[in-house]
Amino acid sequence: MSETFTKSMARNIFYGGSVFFFLLLLALTFDTESALPELDNRENLTEEVALGKRVWEKNNCVGCHTLLGEGAYFAPELGNVYQRFGNSTDAIKGFIMSRPKDGIPGRRSMPQFNLSDEELEGIAQFLKYTSGINTQNWPPNIQG
Amino acid sequence: MTYQSQSVAKPYFIVAIALFVGQILFGTILGLQYVIGDFLFPEIPFNVARMVHTNLLIVWLLFGFMGAAYYLIPEESETELFSPFLAILMFWIFAVAGVLTILGYLLVPYATLAELTMDDLFPTMGREFLEQPTITKIGIVIVALSFLFNIGMTMLKGRKTAVSLVLMIGLTGLAVFFLFAFYVPENLVKDKFYWWFVVHLWVEGVWELIMGAILAFVLIKTTGVDREVIEKWLYVIIAMSLITGLIGTGHHFYWIGTPEYWQWWGSIFSAMEPIPFFMMTIFAFNMVNRRRRNHPNQAAVLWALGTAVMAFLGAGVWGFLHTLAPVNYFTHGTQITAAHGHMAFYGAYVMIVLTMISYSMPMLNGRKEANSNKSQIVEMWSFWIMTVSMVFITLFLTGAGILQTYMQRYTDTPISFMEVQDKVAIFYWLREGAGIFFLIGLIVYVASFFIGGDEPEATVKDAA
Amino acid sequence: MKNRNTPPGDLAIWIFIMAELSVFAIFFAVYAFTRANNVELFNESQLTLDRNLALINTLTLITSSYFVVRAVAAIRENNAKHCFNWIIAALLMGLLFLLVKSYEYNHHYSEGINLRTNKFYMFYFSLTFFHFMHVLMGMVILAANAIKTRAGNYTPENHTGLETGASYWHMVDMVWIILFPLIYVMR
Repeated sequence: MSETFTKSMARNIFYGGSVFFFLLLLALTFDTESALPELDNRENLTEEVALGKRVWEKNNCVGCHTLLGEGAYFAPELGNVYQRFGNSTDAIKGFIMSRPKDGIPGRRSMPQFNLSDEELEGIAQFLKYTSGINTQNWPPNIQG
Repeated sequence: MTYQSQSVAKPYFIVAIALFVGQILFGTILGLQYVIGDFLFPEIPFNVARMVHTNLLIVWLLFGFMGAAYYLIPEESETELFSPFLAILMFWIFAVAGVLTILGYLLVPYATLAELTMDDLFPTMGREFLEQPTITKIGIVIVALSFLFNIGMTMLKGRKTAVSLVLMIGLTGLAVFFLFAFYVPENLVKDKFYWWFVVHLWVEGVWELIMGAILAFVLIKTTGVDREVIEKWLYVIIAMSLITGLIGTGHHFYWIGTPEYWQWWGSIFSAMEPIPFFMMTIFAFNMVNRRRRNHPNQAAVLWALGTAVMAFLGAGVWGFLHTLAPVNYFTHGTQITAAHGHMAFYGAYVMIVLTMISYSMPMLNGRKEANSNKSQIVEMWSFWIMTVSMVFITLFLTGAGILQTYMQRYTDTPISFMEVQDKVAIFYWLREGAGIFFLIGLIVYVASFFIGGDEPEATVKDAA
Repeated sequence: MKNRNTPPGDLAIWIFIMAELSVFAIFFAVYAFTRANNVELFNESQLTLDRNLALINTLTLITSSYFVVRAVAAIRENNAKHCFNWIIAALLMGLLFLLVKSYEYNHHYSEGINLRTNKFYMFYFSLTFFHFMHVLMGMVILAANAIKTRAGNYTPENHTGLETGASYWHMVDMVWIILFPLIYVMR
């Protein structure tokens, strides 16, 4: 009697299944790309925002904070910090500027990054832009 | 050791373990910073320590995978490695690049490191887990390509087995998907979307192939079960991994600015992601039960069974806990994620590399099959200390995460992130304690290499 | 015919079929649950679907399944030539299904309706497109079976490969038979 469970069939299923689902992923990715303009707040993606994203990256902000829930869990979520700070970019800038160089005894504290005015404005605008992304109503409340 | 060139694996494994120690040391620093906020501030701020912790993990696992491949591929292909010289050369390049990068993190502020490495020319820095300077990333690509070339050529001139083929596909996928690390669009949503093509398609995609292949290899060697049977199951398991895991990527797309349908697609497919891990557990125990021989290296068998169980718990169960969109809405980006991350990485990838090291190190050290009894007993102790510690780390983080989710997200009167952190501090203290135990377990593990070296090899006890 | 206590075809395909059916089952359950909470929206959107075309597609797939049954029967009688022809007939039916379905999709897209229009269409497109890809996959497998039949690889005693392809094709057919009433008809 013939073999009822063969290695070659298992192999074919692996190849076939992988290709199948990879193509499906590509199809959904393609659809997502066409949907993004309505969701990603790109109309507000200015040069300033792009600079702010660079500042965000260069200072490894994601090493402590989450942004839209992704990052480290040591410091508050910043996807909605613009709203939490009363829809004020000045409040964001003020907070960043006022961080003590040597920290706060016994407490977590954000480092003093000594950002230039341009960088400060950029990061604040970046966070404002981020808060305008359609995140399907996440986070559940203002606390992030 | 059947082929002389397999010995290039040894330096890879030694450096892997050394970096592992570094990773855990920084882990304990991070744990302490969670409760003593100004610990080592401003010299080593949290983000730097975390970067060192996660990057060391990735780099040492890569060292482990490469070492495993250099050991495994010649034996499967029944031929010497194509170029042992290239393997050693790449070892040094990777080791130096890795050490320099970590020193860069520690010695200068991250922004300065970005300046020094001229990140503005081709910006790729500052994204989670992919913080390496662009120049390091290019180095990783060069090392990966040379490595794939080396083992690919070895396979071409020798026997082609399912195990080596699957390993090769996994490692090639690893290199290919890493290329998304070079795509950093200005658009944050796209940035996040394609970032997952590295991170998710690594750990919930092609790395599972690598894990499956290594596990299959060790099981073939230690149980003596027919290769046909093991390879057949290997294919079925990794088929399941990719079938569920590819669309399962969607569970990262719920709240980052992508269309709502990902909540459905992601939930449905990622709900099935535990299946391949469950199959792997069944598979490992089944093969060991059907063994045709008792292998004297019982420590390696323990690791192999351990990794199958812990991968299922960490990746499967803890992943499922928060993968459904309605649950994830509240748990996204909390300590629940951290709990899952810790146990999944330990169970699936740390333990599979340690399985391979445990299996091959005796031979690399000139033994016939196994270390002495004394050494194995110490190693098994380290297995239990580390594994139990990790279970507790995961449980404490889960506790913290549940409270955090409730107080900050779920209740009608949510309180702020920092207040919640203070309220759950007791869990962080307990986690730090478990972390110290883990470090002790790791020290015991390292000690096992220096114990019982001059004693005779363990022999097979009475057949069970 | 031989006596056996295992399902026809290779056991590996049954593991795969089980996994696929679980996905569809979850999808169907989620559909039912979501519909229960949005009955009006679902009923209203459902009216824009072309039930006649879907019925044609249902008959097409059932017919193709019948052809596949005939193909397996033919090889058991050692008639490889008939077997090949029946598989080709089944493939043509599969092609017809794809054409009709593509026509439907084209119609929706020309009206600006897509995956993101509303919850109903999300399910409609997700489920039918996922199934659409399965038909494609099934056709690839059947085509491989046809080539092997032509090459004389199957005998009355050993045609596991063909049974495997047939099992998969029947699954694809069966999923549609559930999908059709669920999405197009049930109100």
